[in-house]
Amino acid sequence: MNAIGMLTNLLFFPAGLFVLVTGLAYEWVDRKLVARFQNRLGPRWFQPLADMVKLLSKEEVIPEGLDVRLFVALPVVALAGALTAALYVPLVGLNPAHSFPGDLIVTLYLLSLLTMCIGLAGANTRDRFSLIGATRTLTQLFSYEAPFLLALLGPAIVVGSWQIREVTAYANQHWLILTQPVGFVIALIGLMGKLELPPFDAPEAETEIVAGALTEYSGRGLALFRLGKGVELVIGLTLVAAFFLGGVANPVAFFIKTLALLLIIAGLQSLFARLRIDQAVGLWWRYGALLALVQLLVLIILRFWGWNGGL
Amino acid sequence: MQKNDQADKFIIPIGPQHPALKEPGHFEFTVDGEIVTGATIRLGYVHRGIEKATESRTWVQNLYLLERVCGICSHIHATAYCLGVERLAGLSVPPRAQAIRELVVELERIHSHMLWLGVAAHEAGFDTLFMYSWRDRETVMDILEGLTGNRVHYSANILGGVKIDVDAEQTKTILQGVDFLEKRTHHYLDVVTTDSAFVQRTAGIAVMSKAVAEHFGAVGPTARASGVTQDIRIDAPYLAYEDFPVEIVLDTAGDLKARFVVRVQELFQSYQVIRAILDKLPAGELAVTMPRRIKENETISRVEAPRGELFYYLKSNGTDKPERIKIRTPSICNFGTVPALAAGHQLADMPMILAGIDPCFSCNDRMVTIHRPADDSQTWTWEMLRQYGISYYREKER
Repeated sequence: MNAIGMLTNLLFFPAGLFVLVTGLAYEWVDRKLVARFQNRLGPRWFQPLADMVKLLSKEEVIPEGLDVRLFVALPVVALAGALTAALYVPLVGLNPAHSFPGDLIVTLYLLSLLTMCIGLAGANTRDRFSLIGATRTLTQLFSYEAPFLLALLGPAIVVGSWQIREVTAYANQHWLILTQPVGFVIALIGLMGKLELPPFDAPEAETEIVAGALTEYSGRGLALFRLGKGVELVIGLTLVAAFFLGGVANPVAFFIKTLALLLIIAGLQSLFARLRIDQAVGLWWRYGALLALVQLLVLIILRFWGWNGGL
Repeated sequence: MQKNDQADKFIIPIGPQHPALKEPGHFEFTVDGEIVTGATIRLGYVHRGIEKATESRTWVQNLYLLERVCGICSHIHATAYCLGVERLAGLSVPPRAQAIRELVVELERIHSHMLWLGVAAHEAGFDTLFMYSWRDRETVMDILEGLTGNRVHYSANILGGVKIDVDAEQTKTILQGVDFLEKRTHHYLDVVTTDSAFVQRTAGIAVMSKAVAEHFGAVGPTARASGVTQDIRIDAPYLAYEDFPVEIVLDTAGDLKARFVVRVQELFQSYQVIRAILDKLPAGELAVTMPRRIKENETISRVEAPRGELFYYLKSNGTDKPERIKIRTPSICNFGTVPALAAGHQLADMPMILAGIDPCFSCNDRMVTIHRPADDSQTWTWEMLRQYGISYYREKER
């Protein structure tokens, strides 16, 4: 691939501008849906963009007593990780811009980078709310990460490849939600845990610890973290839709399937009271991880007997 | 991270400015990981000097001042004050006025309890319940506005009676609103008792036994959720509560869930009493004339505010101004239970435990004397207070 093509991939499509704008749009859809479920009006369509513009134009206050380089670098690394992940997923139903054997694992790690950066950002400051928030962020990371990973590995095991392109090519022909319903549910709820959406928002529970790990962030840093979350929402939805919902072969299927998933996520967000961190960890390890593991074992055994994974 | 002075203590400060609190108060929770090991409270950020201010205003002017002690239970403050002043002046208020006062008191209780339900749900991170209960609360706010002309400070009372009347059309609107609210309240009772995600945040949390509640002098729904049989509306009926009685709502569990259940159940009592009043509203005058001056005397006045017993002490000196007015609000009685209940629970439970007593911070605009001068006198002169202040801050600097 030539240099101009690579630069376009990085800056405009699929990473860069496109996924940033899509992230903001999906954030608006999510906020609007939750608001309507709660009988509120919700924000206007440009509200996430307006928030970004406002945050970017604000002064960034750097608190005393922390590593300034880390404080400035973490939001950039977090966003960069999320944007890099966008290169490997089939956004808008097109083939991933880059692909190599094993890119599924790389993508999943890149998605965790954001959470790790948020945890580090909280641990970096001396603020007490941030420290508690960082502890909770990392605790939650350790609880949902394993089930989430196992759930997304299910389709890969069936296909026998760690390459996203090959898995999606197979998934385009098969609705894996029918054969792996447990994996689908865990992947979707794991995504909510990843994005710290209610009821898994204990790490940023405003009534206890203000804004959790990001309490000390204002201006640019906060804007970049929020953009990173928007990007991760889009990538996560794309992965789940592509793996479990019969693939995203064209733009229409992509938008219909990801927005349908977003509708489910928004509904779940407004249905439940916030889980305490111990309740969230208990839920993941007692049910999530166990169910994901059982399903994975069943898949491996069936595959060993020569089952092709479809119905 | 640097080590702070208290190396073995990690303190989470909540307030005076914090997203969990809409009003100022300061709480320090000592935590070990996520477990709270101790709690302290500092109140008094909203001391406005209202009790002192009453001494330079006339009896009539004070009615408007005292109604502004609290924005949520404004009518009950005015009612407690009116009942006291009328007793001092020896007035007998017409029964129709008393019934209308009780009507507004109960409407106010509905609005207060529904507001609390929303706030408490928000503290649990259950914003959907918060939004729904506040949407439905608008019904009772509209009723109150239609009845009195105001949404917050109703000013329904005057000394000697009320200044509003209820006509047939208003009766119809109120009954329609109450029917709608009763339907919704059944739903909320269902949510707070059966929604498993919500119940696991409330059941068995912050259990307060009857003995503890009595020890800290808890009042109102907070005490009744621990099985304390105390309700001024029943123990010492005032207004028209003898003709239009309520039944006491009790729960013996003493946990957060019980506090939800008691408050939601009390709403049904309010609906029932409102219907009874509107059904048999006594005919007659709305007010009697009040003398300007009241001869030297003193009295107390006890009423059941939405948060518990509200207590007024009134002393007259023969002029048109009071000699002394002392207010004891329900929240200040309940606050003592918070540090006692906090220890051993998760940090995530703290906002809910705090909200569980339905704290009203403007209620805490009270001075409590803990330190006393050497001669253990109850009365402090200006000079003594001044000296105490100087020495207190010198000690603190050191």
